[in-house]
Amino acid sequence: MTTQVTLEETGAPQPPSAPAPGVRRSGTWRLGWSGVRTVAVLELRQRVRSTRWIVALVVWFVVVGAITLLTTGALGALSGSEGAAPEDTGPLLFSAVTFLVLGLGLLVTPTLTSTGINGDRNAGTLATLQVTLLSPAEIAVGKLLAAWAAACAFLVTSVPFLVLALAMGGTPAWSIVRVVVLVALLLAAVCGIGLGWSALIARTAGSTVLTFVTVAGLVLFTPLLFGLTYPSVTHERDVRIWTENASGTGCEWETVTMSVADTQHTWWLLGLNPFVVVADGAGTAEGVEENNFYPDEPLGAIRQGVRQLRAGETFDRDQCWSAGPGAVSPVPPPTFSRAPVWPWGLAANLALGAVGFVVAVRRLQVPQRTLARGTRVA
Amino acid sequence: MTETPAPDVASPEPSQSSTSTATAPADGIVVRGVARSFGTVHALVDVEMRARAGRVTALVGPNGSGKTTLLLVLAGLLVPDAGEVRVGGVDPLVDSRGARARTGWMPDAFGTWDSLTAREVLETFAAAYGIERAAARERALELLATVHLAEFAGRPASVLSRGQKQRLGLARALVHDPDVLLLDEPASGLDPRSRVDLRLLVRRLADEGKTVLVSSHVLTELEEMVDDAVFISRGRTVDAPVVDARSGRRTWAVRALRLGALTEWLTSTGAQWRPADPGFTAPDLGAPGGVLIEVAGDEGAAQLVRDAVAAGVPLTSLAPASGSLEQAYLALEEERR
Repeated sequence: MTTQVTLEETGAPQPPSAPAPGVRRSGTWRLGWSGVRTVAVLELRQRVRSTRWIVALVVWFVVVGAITLLTTGALGALSGSEGAAPEDTGPLLFSAVTFLVLGLGLLVTPTLTSTGINGDRNAGTLATLQVTLLSPAEIAVGKLLAAWAAACAFLVTSVPFLVLALAMGGTPAWSIVRVVVLVALLLAAVCGIGLGWSALIARTAGSTVLTFVTVAGLVLFTPLLFGLTYPSVTHERDVRIWTENASGTGCEWETVTMSVADTQHTWWLLGLNPFVVVADGAGTAEGVEENNFYPDEPLGAIRQGVRQLRAGETFDRDQCWSAGPGAVSPVPPPTFSRAPVWPWGLAANLALGAVGFVVAVRRLQVPQRTLARGTRVA
Repeated sequence: MTETPAPDVASPEPSQSSTSTATAPADGIVVRGVARSFGTVHALVDVEMRARAGRVTALVGPNGSGKTTLLLVLAGLLVPDAGEVRVGGVDPLVDSRGARARTGWMPDAFGTWDSLTAREVLETFAAAYGIERAAARERALELLATVHLAEFAGRPASVLSRGQKQRLGLARALVHDPDVLLLDEPASGLDPRSRVDLRLLVRRLADEGKTVLVSSHVLTELEEMVDDAVFISRGRTVDAPVVDARSGRRTWAVRALRLGALTEWLTSTGAQWRPADPGFTAPDLGAPGGVLIEVAGDEGAAQLVRDAVAAGVPLTSLAPASGSLEQAYLALEEERR
């Protein structure tokens, strides 16, 4: 074989003195449906084929079903021999299933995206996608959509049990729609958070742990922090307490110095909690009686509790209960705080998810200037 | 082996070659003063090169010399710290999308989505390049036939062997019919038949007017398919003494039925020879054996055969000891020491 080989001009070696070239990134946020669909279909195909997808869904169905039935049985036993009316156990069961589905969803969803980008990078498939005409935003949206669809599949599998609880009565029908939509949106936020961590962290184990820590922060650390800050927002203050006068014919007030917690400054910690968001937004037990301040079922009770914490303590307190007829304190009766907490909490969760998504898109840009530590491009 | 041509003084024009066609200066690959560091590791220090359209250019260098980094810069995945790059006339830093549309990149380690079939992998990439679904299907089947994987179209990519995956990776790089092909170690893991196929395919693509840049350190393989060579060492392109196979002085392996007869005759003519395979024991002079000898060009080799036969030496073979690329590469290594 006599192939002619000529030497290419190579130039005299000289230290490069040109300034670092500038990069124009114009197509980062280009979004086309076909690009998004390509990535989403790819991700879903992989997921459906590689993992025991049907098995996972069946296990989920069985677990949620078993816990639902056990809860039903336990509620029946607790309510005593006379047998509880289904209108009483229905809301309880609805609350239990709602929290179960949300809790399990928050456990499963982080694994769907937390290795989405660094896993592909380690497998050597990410760079080959990045050099195609897909924009970073299309890759990120496709991955997010696929993971969210998978999370929603679990959610949809749980809907029959929510319907079962609804059928027992006592829960308004729109609550099921509100719960499903809220849980779906919260899971979308978790998907975004996981995607962000998987773009930032080189190792899949690291990003998975950080995603779980973030979710745990929202679920566990928020009430913990609320409890820990409680003493610091509690101050000694003068409060006007209305009591029955000595003759028992009217009400009079006296100023008492007592410790009052200004929870209107810290309620938002609870508002961040996904469980509070769902409880507040579920819209159960809206029509409870005026004097039944805290509803019997957990979702409504959490809603009222958080809303009252946001309203904070009042200056006047009415303890003038036993006075005779006509003796009425001028303190207005405590009213339901109707200001919803969930829009705030949901927005905060979605904002976290959006931050993760934006981080992912920025990290998917090519050509890259910096690399995550310990990674190769291809 | 030690002759070194005068270093080409930096001239932006490519050196003349017999088959140079009047291509627009925008075509091909142009790299000027490119540097790229990863922390304290200087992967590329100063790379100057040009690969022309319609030709196959080899990127030769030892492990860790920066070949893969250079290909990543050319593929539009890495921003160089300094310097200028043009791929198919487009600057990937200014028009990343435009450059990506013209470039087909085959990485050295090709990951596959294990649960997708070979055809689905190609269809997915076609879709990622914005090719219509019907056209993508057709293109995928056509490419699978090109790389001889048609019978694996419906099999998951995970069951493909390493060489088959490599061929799938090549098909993937070709899916959008790019003008510029960047192949990183394309022949690794390929069986001899596939190597021949690869060589023919690469030649055909170059003949169609595409720019092909092939990196490898398996030099015999490269030699069979390349027109030009760029040597890279420690992040710099370097001048290497590439010997013209037809006229340059290079090492030939001479074999004869009886080693004694050959060495005796060579010594009597005053030729400088050395044993072909230095062993621990003295070679048996009565047995068949060979020596290495420096010969000037094909003319010199023909002269050697004539003289040996005339002198009654029972000659059995005369062949170049190694390829010219390999000799240049080894000379490069020697210079570094």
